Amino acid sequence: MMRLVAVQCKAEMLRIFRNPYYVFWSLLMPIMFYFIFTRVVNTGPDDASEWQAHYLMSMAAFSVMGSAIMTMGIRLVQERTQGWSTFIRITPLPSSVYFTGKMFGQTLMHLFSVLCIFLAGYLMNGVSLTAEQWLLSGLWILAGSMPFLALGTLIGFMKRVDTASGVSNVLYMGLAVAGGMWMPLDIMPKLMQRIGHWLPSYHFGDGAWRIVAGNHPQWGSILILLGYLAVFMILSVYIRKKQEAV
Amino acid sequence: MNHVIEMNGVSKAFNDKKAVDGISFTIGKGSITAVLGPNGAGKTTMISMLLGLLEPTEGTIKVFGSSPRDVRVRERSGAMLQEVSVMDRLKVREIIALIRSYYPQPMDMDFLLGATGLAPADLNRYAEKLSGGQKRSLSFALALAGNPQLLFLDEPTVGLDTTARRHFWDTVRELAARGTTILFTTHYLQEAEDIADRILLFSQGTIVADGSPEEIKARMVKQSLSFLPAGNAAHLRGQLLELPSVEDCYDKDGRIHVTTENTDEALRGIFTGGLAVRDVRIHQGSLDEAFEQLTMNREEDTK
Repeated sequence: MMRLVAVQCKAEMLRIFRNPYYVFWSLLMPIMFYFIFTRVVNTGPDDASEWQAHYLMSMAAFSVMGSAIMTMGIRLVQERTQGWSTFIRITPLPSSVYFTGKMFGQTLMHLFSVLCIFLAGYLMNGVSLTAEQWLLSGLWILAGSMPFLALGTLIGFMKRVDTASGVSNVLYMGLAVAGGMWMPLDIMPKLMQRIGHWLPSYHFGDGAWRIVAGNHPQWGSILILLGYLAVFMILSVYIRKKQEAV
Repeated sequence: MNHVIEMNGVSKAFNDKKAVDGISFTIGKGSITAVLGPNGAGKTTMISMLLGLLEPTEGTIKVFGSSPRDVRVRERSGAMLQEVSVMDRLKVREIIALIRSYYPQPMDMDFLLGATGLAPADLNRYAEKLSGGQKRSLSFALALAGNPQLLFLDEPTVGLDTTARRHFWDTVRELAARGTTILFTTHYLQEAEDIADRILLFSQGTIVADGSPEEIKARMVKQSLSFLPAGNAAHLRGQLLELPSVEDCYDKDGRIHVTTENTDEALRGIFTGGLAVRDVRIHQGSLDEAFEQLTMNREEDTK
């Protein structure tokens, strides 16, 4: 069983890193944004270094959220439309192992993105955090990506790659803007703030923002993220049952 | 346990339309069965049910005495599906190794590489870069990865060129010689006739004929005679139809054809009656014609 998981994980890892397209797009936009909003446009915050660390977390979370929703979702749709998932179903491989492999591959990709973006922050602005802060914020972002992976799995049930990529793009951008990843929620209208406080993306970012500000993520954030995870997973089990019951 | 597959009164309906309608048959160990029928006859639906991908609406299916979804059944069977299925960004060799790892007693790696019929350079290419036919060959090797005792092949040779097709059937024959039970669907009649020791003829979701290729042929294929008229053709036709052994009479390619159950009787009738014919030929109907006749008759019946 362990051998099976290991082989599956290795295959998924190979596939992700041999497809530089996904890795490139998940890094390009966040790093460009980071450059623009900390070096080019002077957003004039009171404490420049605090803003640089804050926005670095925004962009790391933004990047990971994107690959969790989009890469996961689109790949699942591709595998289904190409008949690969059907083939896997007739092999003795338990679907849990198949899924574990996918999650592992995604997490590695997230880890890679986080490392690249942190490095970019360090190189561009000399962002300096304690070792504990680097580590904790990185772990928070990896763990906090779970609800978004579950959302990606939901996207993965869509029939066509075009639909999946359209829908996931809208969701991704919507969640990022409304969750204060591009611009802090504080400078947005009241209504936007109220909506934002219920979005998983806000709480995902907020945990990391608090860590780099020397605090800890709030329990409320953890609960809300877990809540979204549970809802997405239940939906996904339900849809899967429905699709298979033919 | 001599029955590898048992289907009992199996039906499958999609939105009230029956794709498979009350099918029962058993498949013995080590047999090669061809499921033959036109498109939309229900062949793929039946294979999907045998693979546990679809749940029958009615009836029971047993494979190796268990449900098709049983993991022990999956470990002992392999399938080549119609859809081209390869994982992107993995090399041919890597995909084969990956699928092999799913099975407790996989097939020898070299045998699988050989079964693809691909050149060594192609084995190191990314699977998604292969041509359609090459992908089919790869999915054949993937079907064999677990060293299956039961092999399903759904329209296996569609898209294969002549060389690949010959290589494919050679491998299938080798597997059959080792005792692998094989069930394949096809609408190439020649393939069914050449490879299978049993044909299940499908039409409109039911089995319309079941037997060895020879039996089906003997039962379905009408023999015929043809000749040129030596005198008045119209008069000859009238005479022919009066012979008790002649069933029908028609013109084709400038010759007069008669269909009969018994060519000997018909010939005797023609010669003892002194009918004016010359250049007599005896025709053995092909399975192709029988197949066409059978499935067409069915279609007309339902109209």
